Amino acid sequence: MEKKLENLQILVNHLTYHYPDGTIALKGINLNIYSGEIVGIMGKNGAGKSTLIKTFNGLLKPTTGVVYIENDDVNNVLMSKLTRIVGIVFQNPDLQLFANTVEDEIRFSLKNLNFTKTELENQINLTLEKFKLKKFQNRTPFTLSGGEKKRLAIASIMCRNPKIIVFDEPTIGQDAEGVEFIRNLIKEKHSEGKTIIIVTHDIEFAIDNIPRTILMADGLIIADGPTNKILSQDQILNIGSLISPQLIQLSKFLIDSGFKVPDNAYLKENMIQFLGSFLKEKMEITEGGKP
Amino acid sequence: MSFEFMEAFKFIQKKTIIHSLDPRTKLLLATIYSILAIMFEEIFILFFIFLSFFPFIIAGQLFKKWIKSIRGMTFLFLLLIIFNTLFSTFSKSISMILRIMIMVSSFSLFFLTVHPDDLMLSLLSLKVPYNIAFSFSLSFRFVPTIAIEAQNIIDAQKSRGYEMEQGGLISQAKNLIPLLIPLIVCSMKRAFHIAESLDSRAFGSTKNRTYYYSISFTKKDWLLTVILIAFFIFGIIVKLFPDLLPNWLFWRFPV
Repeated sequence: MEKKLENLQILVNHLTYHYPDGTIALKGINLNIYSGEIVGIMGKNGAGKSTLIKTFNGLLKPTTGVVYIENDDVNNVLMSKLTRIVGIVFQNPDLQLFANTVEDEIRFSLKNLNFTKTELENQINLTLEKFKLKKFQNRTPFTLSGGEKKRLAIASIMCRNPKIIVFDEPTIGQDAEGVEFIRNLIKEKHSEGKTIIIVTHDIEFAIDNIPRTILMADGLIIADGPTNKILSQDQILNIGSLISPQLIQLSKFLIDSGFKVPDNAYLKENMIQFLGSFLKEKMEITEGGKP
Repeated sequence: MSFEFMEAFKFIQKKTIIHSLDPRTKLLLATIYSILAIMFEEIFILFFIFLSFFPFIIAGQLFKKWIKSIRGMTFLFLLLIIFNTLFSTFSKSISMILRIMIMVSSFSLFFLTVHPDDLMLSLLSLKVPYNIAFSFSLSFRFVPTIAIEAQNIIDAQKSRGYEMEQGGLISQAKNLIPLLIPLIVCSMKRAFHIAESLDSRAFGSTKNRTYYYSISFTKKDWLLTVILIAFFIFGIIVKLFPDLLPNWLFWRFPV
């Protein structure tokens, strides 16, 4: 979708937030997020990332400034309404699992959404199938593996069908399969037109999956733009204590050595294509594919 | 829900005369004030005991924290007034409040100014076994951590539509389950992690442990101890021979 005013979904204006103990977590944030975007939020620990996302669903009220979610000022909207629009998936699934069975865990999330009984059961079944949790339906969540718990925690937010989905560190502690699952989920939700916000430290995940990145430092946004641009500027990387993704480093090295590397070589497929065709040109290939 | 009240028992490093006292002196201070508070129920006497505690709070630069802890108990005070006035007398409720204020103030002074490590050392010097002293100081060290975790759990559950419901006692208790179970599970997990980490550092493998820090009584400590004991003896004498005190100290509210 285009970045048009009518597609503007989150508008943050001069937002500051002070914690009750006096810590100033946000020092004046201005931010526009449009419907259907995938946005990454990066930055050091303590930069204010978590505080910022918690203002989106009403967990924290702005000290000064405004946050508009779908044209409603968060100060004037009930939290129960906000959490239907904005679903935050927290990092640690242990913080929210409590029910006797996996099924009940999903049911708890749907409790206050005014479903009829058949709708409710349908929604539970759909969610369990979709997140491959059907076989655990009657098991207690505490015996699930780390990856399965994470899936259940994500499912317990997704079943509420929020328009804006916020992931807090989705890839931490996940094996390759778990990361692949999250990657596919993000693609799928993006194709459904959802807005997706991802707080992460995982630069390799970000460069592959997140087109737009916001870099925060010390309660302020210091950079906002295409992820590959942000992750290739040394000055910005230094402030955010980040390291360039490996493919950006490689293409920089190649450019410095005088090669003509395409702009989009920060993506794996493009780099493979470039290097493949380049090497085919320059080297003879013997029988059996070995030079 | 707020855990501000917990803050009243969290140690903060400062350089004041109270912070530099030996933990055992401060334990004596808290104990003597608590015993005195229990011994008397006359409003004026309790009030003077309370006033005499003020210099310690001011010398320790703890006024803000102290006010917070008192404010955190407003609800309890209201309950005390209501129930005591209904079933006993108004005077009784006021003296109960003063008592609790004295006890909470004196123990919050102790926990606010004694470093958790020193707390352990002072227990050891009272001949408490090391294992028990260590678990005790560890449990205090984790109070703020658990408070933060509780807040995170509330946030996570609210994000999936959990609401703090109003209603009868039973429905409110049921309503706590989504918060309590994750809290217990996370605490147990942490406890196992700590146990593993202690084992991997050979905790308890030898009987004679080396202590890096030590605590010692200084002149200040001895001076305060003597004053405290004198104060305590004075309190006992007054309790035994109430005729020594002027009559107005025994004044009560007429209701």
